[in-house]
Amino acid sequence: MLSYILRRIVATLPVMAIVALFVFSLLYIAPGDPAVVIAGDQASPEDVERIRQSLGLDRPFLVQFGSWVWRILHGDLGTSIFTNLPVSTMIGQRLGPTLSLMIVTLLLTIVVAVPLGVVAAWKAGSLIDRAIMGFAVFGFSLPVFVVGYMLAYIFALELEWLPVQGYTPMAAGFWPWLENLILPAIALGCVYIALVARITRAAMLEVLQQDYIRTAKAKGMGQGGILFIHGLKNAAVPIVTVIGIGIALLIGGAVVTESVFAIPGLGRLTIDAILRRDYPVIQGIVLLFSFVYVLVNLMIDVTYTLVDPRIRY
Amino acid sequence: MALLEVENLQTHFRTPSGINRAVDGVSFHVNEGETLAIVGESGCGKSVTSMSLMRLVPEPPGKIAGAIRFAGRDLLQLSDREMRAIRGNEISMIFQEPMTSLNPVLTVGRQIRETLMIHQGLDKQAAEAHAIEMLTLVGIPEPKRRVREYPHQLSGGMRQRVMIAVALACNPKLLIADEPTTALDVTIQAQILKLMLGLKRRVGAAIILITHDLGVVAEIAERVMVMYAGRKVEEAPVAELFRSPRHPYTQGLLGAVPKLGSSLAGTATRLAEIPGQVPDLRKPIIGCVFAGRCALATDLCRQYAPGLEEKGPRHIAACHYAAKGAVAA
Repeated sequence: MLSYILRRIVATLPVMAIVALFVFSLLYIAPGDPAVVIAGDQASPEDVERIRQSLGLDRPFLVQFGSWVWRILHGDLGTSIFTNLPVSTMIGQRLGPTLSLMIVTLLLTIVVAVPLGVVAAWKAGSLIDRAIMGFAVFGFSLPVFVVGYMLAYIFALELEWLPVQGYTPMAAGFWPWLENLILPAIALGCVYIALVARITRAAMLEVLQQDYIRTAKAKGMGQGGILFIHGLKNAAVPIVTVIGIGIALLIGGAVVTESVFAIPGLGRLTIDAILRRDYPVIQGIVLLFSFVYVLVNLMIDVTYTLVDPRIRY
Repeated sequence: MALLEVENLQTHFRTPSGINRAVDGVSFHVNEGETLAIVGESGCGKSVTSMSLMRLVPEPPGKIAGAIRFAGRDLLQLSDREMRAIRGNEISMIFQEPMTSLNPVLTVGRQIRETLMIHQGLDKQAAEAHAIEMLTLVGIPEPKRRVREYPHQLSGGMRQRVMIAVALACNPKLLIADEPTTALDVTIQAQILKLMLGLKRRVGAAIILITHDLGVVAEIAERVMVMYAGRKVEEAPVAELFRSPRHPYTQGLLGAVPKLGSSLAGTATRLAEIPGQVPDLRKPIIGCVFAGRCALATDLCRQYAPGLEEKGPRHIAACHYAAKGAVAA
């Protein structure tokens, strides 16, 4: 098992290398001379030349790529063109809010979506099932920012139960941290909850037809044990998969959610960097996101072995 | 004395094309410690009967009516909670498919333990110890190691042994075995049957054996009930039934069993088959259920359903011409 994890981590290296190559090429894929792009509209030809030399853009592509990778391996993601701060510092400052938002959303999704899906499958065809699946369609079809603004209007502006926007670090206390994240997490989680609930229902429907469920009933086991012990564990593989894939969804959604709720996280940083064409920052963020995604995939595969003893690597 | 008394059991399923009368007015009883075999071809309602006894028929679309008196209580009147206390405890069940009847993601030990923890309130350690004991009892080698294994690590025969261990863990009064050996090799079949009989004697449980294998019936049953199209058509002690089957359907079933070595002895004949098909259970059946396939059927059979009548010592059959049939056989 341990050797499998090690092998998988080694296997992620080529993936990361290809991602790095793409990320690096970003500068060249973007239309125009990178130096001109970076220098902006009002730069003089001298400025452009200065930038070209300072970034080493006059050197051959592969040499540039090599030295860029070398620096990244030493923890140097470059310097922001706009703020002149190291990219790693900028990302570090913004990591907390985004990570908090993602974790709260993930937990909310698991706690809400999985039981909903299980109940829908158990009561398949009933009013409860139709209500849950109706909600799922609703969750799918509403964009994050619409849900976000609606929630903020109802619960923050009208009812004044929760703050409208902003972020408080956990160092300031658990509740102040959490209360700022509830509405964003619901907004961001809507699609995710709908997706996970649907997959849970489908997986459970299949499992509940199996002979071993009949055996569990014949043992005199209660409904809860049948659904959550005998059922859910067998349905876990597709559910774990979709929860993992959903994290990619979250990364995209976090950008919008952070804008709506004015959370100073990576999403906001991404938008700002794109608008300012701050390529080193964009590269750093994309690289980080792909690394997280590769890691999540590894975690999905490892989780399979925990829920299904027949899966061994 | 009767441990189980089933009276006018009717299990019907609502389907889009009408009500399927899978079991239609079946009555029988099982004495304490007795082995009753229920035989019949696929779709005759024998499995539905057994599932009805445990109230495992999904309702809806199913509906069970009649009375199922077990140790003095009508199971159909019990609440779900009371019924759960009986399942796996006083009545337990072994299923046909050992490959799929065990939960693939839980250890064998856990699946035996559960029954004990639900019904006897044992803690995990005590249940584990008992589970190991049960595995030893059903003849699984290295039970201490096996108890931690998962079903996919065991062969089909081993899994059926585990199923038996699960079923017998709480010393049930009644064991329902629904084609317990159908999915197994012939050699394993004999072992499993022997094991079931041995344990039955040890525990003192009564057995209802659902099967279409008449060889198995001859070997272990004391009494046989023959079902056809959701009804009981004949019932007799096993020796009596094999010696003088009265119902033409039973005669057909017995005629369809190949005789081992008959071709060597030169006595081989073409296996008798029962022509025709089981009637559609969604349509009301007028007259005898078997009339459509019966060589002896007359207008009487097609108009009036025969009742179950005494045809011999403890021998009943539902046929207008049963006596004549016995001669014909």
